[in-house]
Amino acid sequence: MLSDWPADLQAALPGYLAAQRWFSGAEPPPAEAVRTASSRRLWSDGHARELWQVLVGVGEAVYQLVLGVRPAGEPAEFLQGRDKAVLGSVEGVYVYDAVWDPELAKTLLEVISGGSQKADRSRPMGAEQSNSSLVFDDRLILKLFRRLRPGRNPDVEVTTALASAGFGHVAAPLVEWRDDEYDFAFGQQYLAGGTEGWALALTSLRDLYTGAAGAPAEAGGDFAAEAARLGRVTAEMHVALRDVFGQAQKGDAQRSWQAMVHGLPARLERAGPALEDAAGPLLERLSAVPDPGPAIRVHGDFHLGQVMRTDLGWYVLDFEGEPARPLEERLAPASPYKDVTGMLRSLHYASRHALVERAVDDWVEMLPAAEAWEAHNRQAFLDGYSSCPRIGELLPDPASSPAVMVGYELDKALYELEYERAHRPEWVSIPMDALERLVAGTS
Amino acid sequence: MSSWFQTAVFYEVLVRGFYDANGDGSGDLAGLTSKLDYLQWLGVDCLWLLPIYQSPLRDGGYDISDFWTILPEYGDLADAVNLIEEAHKRGIRIIADLVVNHTSDQHPWFQESRLDTTNARADWYVWSDDEERYKDARIIFVDTEKSNWTFDAQRGQFYWHRFFSHQPDLNYDNPEVADTMIDVCRYWLDIGLDGFRLDAVPYLFERDGTNCENLPETHEYLRRLRKEVDALYPGRVLLAEANQWPEDVVEYFGDGDECHMCFHFPVMPRMFMAVRREQRYPITEILARTPQIPPGCQWGIFLRNHDELTLEMVTDEERDYMWAEYAKDPRMKRNIGIGRRLAPLVDGDRRVAELLHALLFSFPGSPILYYGDEIGMGDNIYLGDRDGVRTPMQWSPDRNAGFSRADFAQLYLPPLMDPVYGYQAVNVEAQMRNPSSILHWMKRMLEVRKQHPVFGTGSFEVITVDNPSVLAYVRSAVEPEDGAAAPVEGADPDATASRPDIVLCVCNLSKLAQPAELPLQRWEGKIPIELLGRVPFPRIGELPYFVTLAPYGFYWFELVDPPGRGSPAAEGGG
Repeated sequence: MLSDWPADLQAALPGYLAAQRWFSGAEPPPAEAVRTASSRRLWSDGHARELWQVLVGVGEAVYQLVLGVRPAGEPAEFLQGRDKAVLGSVEGVYVYDAVWDPELAKTLLEVISGGSQKADRSRPMGAEQSNSSLVFDDRLILKLFRRLRPGRNPDVEVTTALASAGFGHVAAPLVEWRDDEYDFAFGQQYLAGGTEGWALALTSLRDLYTGAAGAPAEAGGDFAAEAARLGRVTAEMHVALRDVFGQAQKGDAQRSWQAMVHGLPARLERAGPALEDAAGPLLERLSAVPDPGPAIRVHGDFHLGQVMRTDLGWYVLDFEGEPARPLEERLAPASPYKDVTGMLRSLHYASRHALVERAVDDWVEMLPAAEAWEAHNRQAFLDGYSSCPRIGELLPDPASSPAVMVGYELDKALYELEYERAHRPEWVSIPMDALERLVAGTS
Repeated sequence: MSSWFQTAVFYEVLVRGFYDANGDGSGDLAGLTSKLDYLQWLGVDCLWLLPIYQSPLRDGGYDISDFWTILPEYGDLADAVNLIEEAHKRGIRIIADLVVNHTSDQHPWFQESRLDTTNARADWYVWSDDEERYKDARIIFVDTEKSNWTFDAQRGQFYWHRFFSHQPDLNYDNPEVADTMIDVCRYWLDIGLDGFRLDAVPYLFERDGTNCENLPETHEYLRRLRKEVDALYPGRVLLAEANQWPEDVVEYFGDGDECHMCFHFPVMPRMFMAVRREQRYPITEILARTPQIPPGCQWGIFLRNHDELTLEMVTDEERDYMWAEYAKDPRMKRNIGIGRRLAPLVDGDRRVAELLHALLFSFPGSPILYYGDEIGMGDNIYLGDRDGVRTPMQWSPDRNAGFSRADFAQLYLPPLMDPVYGYQAVNVEAQMRNPSSILHWMKRMLEVRKQHPVFGTGSFEVITVDNPSVLAYVRSAVEPEDGAAAPVEGADPDATASRPDIVLCVCNLSKLAQPAELPLQRWEGKIPIELLGRVPFPRIGELPYFVTLAPYGFYWFELVDPPGRGSPAAEGGG
């Protein structure tokens, strides 16, 4: 048994971190910037097998490592081909990322749930930007936060609050692991049989690309019924969010809207001078909105990849907000239209997604079908949204509604454009099209 | 120990349309008897006969005018006895439709009842001075009926009918009626029938302030009937037709003390919808909301039957969708459904027909085939009412489709003669000769299904796949405590050996090829063996199991432990 966390492993940390997907940065950080903030043994078999939690500070950032320890020479089949998961060897043992160890993963679940959760099987899910996820018995999914931030994790906070308020479209919380400073992990009901909304929308869109589709309502994989149900669930989510977190003061709501509108000209200019020139009438219209309506806690990063279709309907995931925005901005109250337009933007993305990889000729031929699909499902989503009985209380008055919606859609499209320029230049045309449409007032 | 009907494949047959032995232009019991060898070859376990009783035939025989007599065109009691005996010799059971809710208005009971308000059968039907009672009951045949009450001029009162106005409902509050209908059942069970499909069971009783469906009194009556069957006719089956949501239908199983089987209506349109939408949710949703049924009970599931493709159990919006998709010509629509056979419903695409049958044969329940669908017969939507799907069975390319030696003009309905589905193109004789025909495929599927009773009695669990166009599920035998799978009466003893039976089904609902990653780690180390060809697939490892599926393709895999070293399978399988 290790008497304490071996200091000898310190030297291996920079290289190990740089190899992990959840680490922000591709280069190993300088050794002097990396410190072990805390370490504790979570479990031991009394001999050489152990489970540790180690928090590592890198500059301002804090990362969580959950590590397994085995005697040197004891084989571990699950590590084959996963050299990057091994931190190093010391004192006759070797140390590795415990999420890959089917046995230790089960132990982890048992330990952090205080024995209330046990499982027969575990499997790691694909690596993500900021978390590692483990699925237990196809019943429970445990999200292990890698990059830790002080205070409540918004996803844990919102999901738990919505679930306890009786909102049935989030996966039920089952395990919370945290201390006074950080949320370490969050376990929820695993949505067995679920499919991401994005995959489902693309299924519907396939008909377009086989050239067999006529009007989108007549295509085999019509998505409108799904879009309408999703709209309804979105509205119910907003009503529940307001019931749980309340509503911002009227003045605050007004100020947050104005701040967003004031920022638009500069962002439009960065997007393209022609856009800015053409946007004059639109910007005037947005500035003239007398009252943008109530502001509430919103999902903040609402798109088809954040919703899951299951046998029991749609579920909403990941209340962490847009990862590229600072935390306070993500928590700031906003009009529910922020989420609504997020989903509308996502429908646009879905309809153009497969066009991006096509030759220009195909593109021109397929565009009308893609536009028809988008319009059809956009309408269905909005109809579903407004079918929720209490949603009117959360929206601006009907005279201001269209302008507020356009404002948020513009905000989102600009965010997308900046993101695509930085990461996926071949996708730039999608938000660019949207911006042109919005500025021309044809959306 | 499971019962025969839990693993049986049923075959619904219209006697009139199957085979004409006496050359009068209409099928008969003797004709059906002469085709039993074919049905045995195909591999069906139980026939379901549409009504065989005396009737004016204004509703395909569901308007019975004498419960004690066989319809003369079909033959007589001796023909029925002979059919049952010959079927039993071949290991085939027979159940028949029995309409318990109502009779024909030509039935002597009704003729007597309508005379006046004081005759001996005055209370055998539901009479009223006005139309005010039972206002909350919906009208089922919306195309033809305006009210559930019809005025009878002779008696000067209204009589109650849930279906056509020529089918008055029997009054089950009258003990004489209740007793007599038990006698009717006993009569036919004594003759040798293996059970009944009980038509329209939810409507036996009426009570004001209710929708007059699924009333407690109706369940009480079914328990009484079941007790009678269990005491005197063990092994016979009661199959309820209750076109309701599964959570309501499940009531007809009682605590295992009402009907042995019930139809699962809503799963059927959803199989079609899932294929059209190329995603599994229409199916998995309805299966998720299907409650557990008591032990010893079974669902009856089907793709098509003699009625329309029922759309009562879908939402309005889904119904519009189904109408738009599957009933492009308004003539294809009937009441609240679509009146078509399977093959034309899927535009003659054999891949879809096979996929739908693969789903049917592997879903929880006993599959029911509709006569002619095993060869991919078509329909004739220009024939009135439900006759479009009741045309003569197509036996051969000969005159009258080999169905009858009568003059063409004498036939009860013309056989199909169109170039795609007509009997020249689609018939049993040609398909029996062609090993790649859908008929041979169907026979093979039934063989495989018979080897795996788990399809009838196993648990059903959906496996999560990211790709929404792929539906994967596992049927597995619940192992009894001694570790052996439950033996099934009448099944191949090899198939019920002591190893647990686990079958994995993977289906592609899309017209395009699809990949699927299946989380099968629970079965790590096992070998999937494809059941139609017995081809071993790679061993299941710790990673998700990857399969690719052809358009509308499917796999049935048996999950087995790897063979021991040196065994023939290990050498052959590489």
